[in-house]
Order: sequence, then structure tokens, then C-alpha cells
Amino acid sequence: MAKFHPSVDLLTEYVAGILPLAQSACISAHLNYCPQCQQQSARLQDLGAVLFESLTPVPVGDALLNTVLARLDEEPPLSYRRAQDPAVGRLPALLQRLMKGDFSELSWNKITSSLSISYLKTGDTAYEFALYHIKAGGKIPEHTHRGSEMTLVLQGGFSDAAGSYHEGDFLFREASDTHAPTALQSEDCICLAVLDAPLRFTSWKYRWMNPFLQLRAG
Amino acid sequence: MEEKIDSASNGWQGPTGRRTDEWSECLTQIAATGDRAAFTRFFRHFAPLIKAFALSGSSLSAAHADELVQEVMLKAWQKASAFNPEKAAASTWVYTIARNCRTDMFRRLQKFDTPLAADDFMPDQEPSEPFAMLQSRRSRDTIHELMGTLPPDQAQILAKVYMEGKSHAEAAAELDLPLGTVKSRVRLAIQKLQIQLDR
Repeated sequence: MAKFHPSVDLLTEYVAGILPLAQSACISAHLNYCPQCQQQSARLQDLGAVLFESLTPVPVGDALLNTVLARLDEEPPLSYRRAQDPAVGRLPALLQRLMKGDFSELSWNKITSSLSISYLKTGDTAYEFALYHIKAGGKIPEHTHRGSEMTLVLQGGFSDAAGSYHEGDFLFREASDTHAPTALQSEDCICLAVLDAPLRFTSWKYRWMNPFLQLRAG
Repeated sequence: MEEKIDSASNGWQGPTGRRTDEWSECLTQIAATGDRAAFTRFFRHFAPLIKAFALSGSSLSAAHADELVQEVMLKAWQKASAFNPEKAAASTWVYTIARNCRTDMFRRLQKFDTPLAADDFMPDQEPSEPFAMLQSRRSRDTIHELMGTLPPDQAQILAKVYMEGKSHAEAAAELDLPLGTVKSRVRLAIQKLQIQLDR
């Protein structure tokens, strides 16, 4: 079960539907791993419903009602089956849709000997939405950000100076935090990362790469 | 004996549990028999709220607001059989549809080219918590009761975020407040309304 969660004000923005699309997708993916955050979101949604019900109603004419009634025949009620068995160990449906295949079918850009990145298209032109593949025991060179970074662990785990993170854990870092994540020794780690500015390596050995690390939003 | 109606002294008026049940039954009826009379009642109650939601923060034009009412109502008709009264109240269900349709409409208007619709952002599984509904009803009742006790500046931020669809940063810019102040007002409001869970 996930141990690291989005803050309550971040969840509020998610529930109110106002987070940028790419960030919203990352939180939604975390909820699939985290019943506690789902519960918290449900309470925040109750708050939304209470605010909604207490709006001052704006009159709607009968013309609109008649338009809708006339369209009911074109839109027959759908029937729904009960949800299937819980899909244990499966990636969130939203991610599967964006990936259109499994990890091995994606195109991976090799950044260092232990880090490869695959960029996914969400349509959000301000945020990069990418999968990071870190080899078991491999290290992402120490880096910082000019913007914010959301991370969700999808497979394996990694650690940095602040702690160690496993499947379903969610991290949010603001600009200028410096860290050097290392994948756990036991297996390769795959993370989802959502960025609004490219990462910048701080160690001299990799700094030459910075000009090549453009943000790949879209 | 006549029942005394307490018209909340603080000016906060909301529906009672009874009214909520009425709309849940209404939805169940629509799902079971395609009952148009039930749908008409449902429309007359919720359409004016959806229109108010569309127009709050004057984010959408009147024509787009009417379009949103249509979309939400047609979706409610189509998806009525997916409504599970044990999991959610009818008003929460309608609010969620309205929120998703509004988000999609914003993205359409901004010509966002995305393969995702707002419905795709819902978690794959609802919590299988057996008392989810009971908790939800309690939490809504508590929120109703406590809403009137919120300081106006906190209530204002919640309305901006939820109803007007402003991000914390946008709300801060509009009210000329530091972002940190907006965030802490949101957090304080959520604590006061007793919906903060230990995670």
C-alpha cells in the first residue's frame, strides 16, 4: 500500500477538476494504487456536491427541457455490468490508453547507461508526461528542476536522501530541490514523471547534457 | 403536529437527506423504466443548478451554459443505470457528471488535442468500503452543518476553486493574496469541515 501521497490541497484541485491535464492524470493513476486517497477524494467530492447544491439556481426555460426530451430517443439509456474482478497488478487504465502497449513496446530514449525515458502524448502542451526506466541499482545523476516534478512509482522502487519509494508512492517536488534517485537493487524501476521544466543535471560529469534536455510536452 | 423548519440562521440552506433520497429514487426509476415524467422532475431540479455551475465565475457564455445543461442531462439519462444509490447520493453523481462535462467543454474550447476525456480520469475501481455510503451521507450532513461556521474568506476560496474552477494560483492572483495563504485557507476549511482523513 502506498506510503507517500499527494497533499490535501493538491487532491482538492484534482477533485475540483482544475489541475493541468498531465498532473491530473498522474494523481488519477496514484488513486488506483491507494484506497486512502480514494476515500479522501470521495470526501472532497462530497464537499463539491454540497457547494453545487447550494448554488443559487439560474432559471432554465421549457424550450431547453423540450429540446432535451426530444433528444432522449436518439440517446437510449446504456446498460452497465457490475465492475469486473479487481485487476491486481495491472497498470491504471488511463496509462494503458496513453501507452498503447506494454513497457517493451514503447520507444525508449537512452539518457545514461542506467536511465531511459519514454515520452507519452497527453495533449497537455505545458507538461511533459514521461516514463523513466532506471536499471536495478542504477542511479539518475544528481539533478534539479526549474519547475515542479510529480513522480509515481509504477514498478520496482527507488530511494534518495529523503526516503525509499515503492509501487504506488507519489512524490511532488517544487523547483530547485536537488536529488539523486537510485533504483532498488532487486529489480528495474519504472516511474511516471510529470514536469513543467526540463531537469538539469548538477554534477559536472553530466552537465554537458543539459542543453539537450528539452521539455517534451504535448 | 407541524414540523418546524429551521431556516438556517447563518443563511446556509441546503437540502435534507430526504430530498437527496427523492432524487436517488428518481434516477432508479429512470434507469428501470425510462420514465420521462421522472426525468422531467429531475431536469427541473438539477438543470438550474447545472446552469448556475456553468455560469459561476462567468467562465462560460450563456449559450455554452445551455449546451452544458443539455449534455449533462442527456448523460444522466444515458447513464442512469450506472448510478448505484449504495455508493453515492444523486446530487454527488450529478455534480461529478457536470464537473467532467465542464472540464471537457473547457478543453474543447481551448482546442486541446488530447486522447483523454474527463471520464477517463476516474479511478478504475470505486472504493469497496462497505460503509462508503453511510460515511458519505454523514460527511455531507457534517459539511452542511459546518459550512455556516466557516469564516467568509475560507468559504470564498472553496467557491472559487470548486464552482468557478479557479486553480489556487488563479484564485490567489484574483484576490491579490500570496499563493501560500490560499493553500492554507483551503487546508483550514477542509479541517473545519472534518473531511481530512489520516493517510
